[in-house]
Amino acid sequence: MALDGVRVLDFTRLGFGSQATLILGCLGAEVIKIESTKHPDGVRIIPPLVPVDGAKGEGFGGGSLAAAEQLGSFNRGGTYFKYNTGGKRSITVDARTPEGHDVLEQLVARSDVVTESFAAGTMDRWGLGYERLRAIKPDIVYVSMCGFGHTGPDAACVTMGPTAQALTGHTAMVGLPGRPPAGWSFSYLDHVGGYLGAFAVLHALHHRRATGEGQHMDVSQLEPATALLGPALLDFAVNGRRYQPAGNRRGGAPQGAYRAAGEDKWVVISCATDEQWQGFVKAIGSPAWTDSTRFESLDSRVAHVGELDELVEEWTSTRDRYEVMDLLQSHGVPSGAVQDAADRLERDPQLAARGHFTRLRSSEVGELPLEGVPFHMSVTPPHAGGVIRRGPPDLGEDTYDVLREALGMTDRDIAELRDAGALA
Amino acid sequence: MNALEDLDVLELVDATGEYCGRLLAGVGMDVVKVEPPSGAPSRHEPPFGPDGTSLRFLADNVGKRSRVAVVDDDVRAACADADVLVHTLRPRDAKARGLDFATLTKLNPRLVVCAITPFGQSGPWCDYEADDLVLMALGGSMAACGYGLDDPPLAADGDQAWRTASTYAAIAILAALLCDAGGQLIDVSAHECSASMTEWHVMTYLCTGQPMARFSHPVIETADGRRVAALTPDFLGAHVFQRLREMLIAEGVAGPLADPDFDDSAYRAAHYGEVHRAIKRLAAAHTGDELWRLGQSAGLPWGVIRSPEEVLEDRHLRSRGHWAEFDGLPYPQAPYVASASPFTFAGPPPRLGPSGGDEGDQA
Repeated sequence: MALDGVRVLDFTRLGFGSQATLILGCLGAEVIKIESTKHPDGVRIIPPLVPVDGAKGEGFGGGSLAAAEQLGSFNRGGTYFKYNTGGKRSITVDARTPEGHDVLEQLVARSDVVTESFAAGTMDRWGLGYERLRAIKPDIVYVSMCGFGHTGPDAACVTMGPTAQALTGHTAMVGLPGRPPAGWSFSYLDHVGGYLGAFAVLHALHHRRATGEGQHMDVSQLEPATALLGPALLDFAVNGRRYQPAGNRRGGAPQGAYRAAGEDKWVVISCATDEQWQGFVKAIGSPAWTDSTRFESLDSRVAHVGELDELVEEWTSTRDRYEVMDLLQSHGVPSGAVQDAADRLERDPQLAARGHFTRLRSSEVGELPLEGVPFHMSVTPPHAGGVIRRGPPDLGEDTYDVLREALGMTDRDIAELRDAGALA
Repeated sequence: MNALEDLDVLELVDATGEYCGRLLAGVGMDVVKVEPPSGAPSRHEPPFGPDGTSLRFLADNVGKRSRVAVVDDDVRAACADADVLVHTLRPRDAKARGLDFATLTKLNPRLVVCAITPFGQSGPWCDYEADDLVLMALGGSMAACGYGLDDPPLAADGDQAWRTASTYAAIAILAALLCDAGGQLIDVSAHECSASMTEWHVMTYLCTGQPMARFSHPVIETADGRRVAALTPDFLGAHVFQRLREMLIAEGVAGPLADPDFDDSAYRAAHYGEVHRAIKRLAAAHTGDELWRLGQSAGLPWGVIRSPEEVLEDRHLRSRGHWAEFDGLPYPQAPYVASASPFTFAGPPPRLGPSGGDEGDQA
């Protein structure tokens, strides 16, 4: 695998940082996830829970240490944790014990990369800030991932995905004209921040290979988002034009989501050119209304788009969304069913053919379909289960193996650490 | 010294794949855009400046160079000396033009070829057509976004599925170059990339049997008509609630929240509407900019909803040196602050380069 031999000491939690180390693990890095039983990754224990007995989970809410203790498990949270931790190893270390702190320093000495997603200053307070890491391992690559980054006037501010999306203009880019923004309902920028976190690690590893020098990559959740705004910034700087939401319009017609047969089923059709419009007309059997001069050019279709949308939806609304998609695609028209997670898992033949989901075992909850990374490499293929070919780890299940393999500890060393409370 | 400056990247892409080369240019690789004599397609896409320059082209091609290839023999010749080729050719077109991986790897066995396509190199939808809207629909984010069930699912603007594909492509390229495995084909399906950016949706469905419904996060309107994402999730814990309460008391809008009953988490959960009512009172007395900072002062992840162009004024990004300026125009630059090898663009987006041997300089 591409990152064979790279060891990542991973303090990240929740979404943003964990996405970064998921990518590194899928590329072959050995990712050692550091938690403690007193402070496990918060998303380990947030419902909905993975059913272990065929029953369905309990829905959203709560998610506390007390709830996990009552449940008797840290391993059933079926949320972002399961998406983000395939291929990672898990160890528990109590960094507040001197022995635990020493274990972490020994691991730093044998790692290439340290990643974390705490608030700025947290690692310093633990005595594991960049200066200390560098004293232990001079060429360490240290990648911090937190809301506003470690410097700047607002470095003390905190984010969740929707915060970063609001502040960077992304919330405003989802919405209908004349309405308040609808925004993203999930944390797109948790993913994006994680992608750039992984990218920053690879950038730093290239730099280290060429120069022997490590560094601190300070990743925030804001900066990776700005270039994703595309030409909107230049349109303002050059033309003074402020961004206006346009729903699903991208300059074509018909273009957007249309109701299909079934309850709340939709299909997207996107005709941006005359050729695509002609393909659409042919696909639906050239009904008389398509002959109208109101629809003869892209400009006239856009000018009469309300009327056009009604006629198109009249046609789609009695048809299965996948049948619409396949029929239009056979005439060269960009079209796709609006798919939810169930559709992707159970009905999408393309994802199935591409092996998008990899079924991997997690020790407590059994097999799960994991997504890993969505690209393919012919010589160094990534894998959703990383080098260990395994699903999300149970809390601390690799503590013993990691201390033996990475630090060369004996059973007796490990027993002493357990007795001292360092591995809780 | 720049570790990546000796790596030569060719990009033969339409607008859907330009963001990949933008990222590679930022880490210092020499990204040369191979264009037909008429220029890359994105040079002709809106929005335009008063002089007819495509702003879309400018946004995604900063830091690159340009050269014109009149015929595909020119492209193959360039590939013989390059480290990476990024392209957006569909499999059937790559083969027809003799630019498929099997052909190129014979010319240059160490060439990393990255193909960014809607559906990848294989599968029943391999030859289907897609734009970003179709990819957002099939990938799943659209099904989860919108105002609710009375309105249609909404896709985010700005080519987010394509940009995610480009980002993964850049990650895969850096990884391939790091491992010294020689040349290989990186097959990036934008559909798969779009499908893997919906957080916990797949797991939630597995756990509950119900896909995530589409919804919009609640926001609070402020005295000046702005809107603030004022997240107050109870799971942030008692200490965060306590700071919020102190702030609300100091602002004179706490109402019943000052009552000691609210120290109890069960009582608080049963009366959480009072938290929202107090925040509404707070919002009625403040501007959007004041409100989000008040929330932050209490440790809450609040943010005012900005229009994209307002990001240009953000004091924090400015202080972190985020913007590059070329020809008086602002370009988002480093996605992270690097202590040793900064992410920077060597120059502005390129004018259409010369044909033949020499690559053009930046404009």
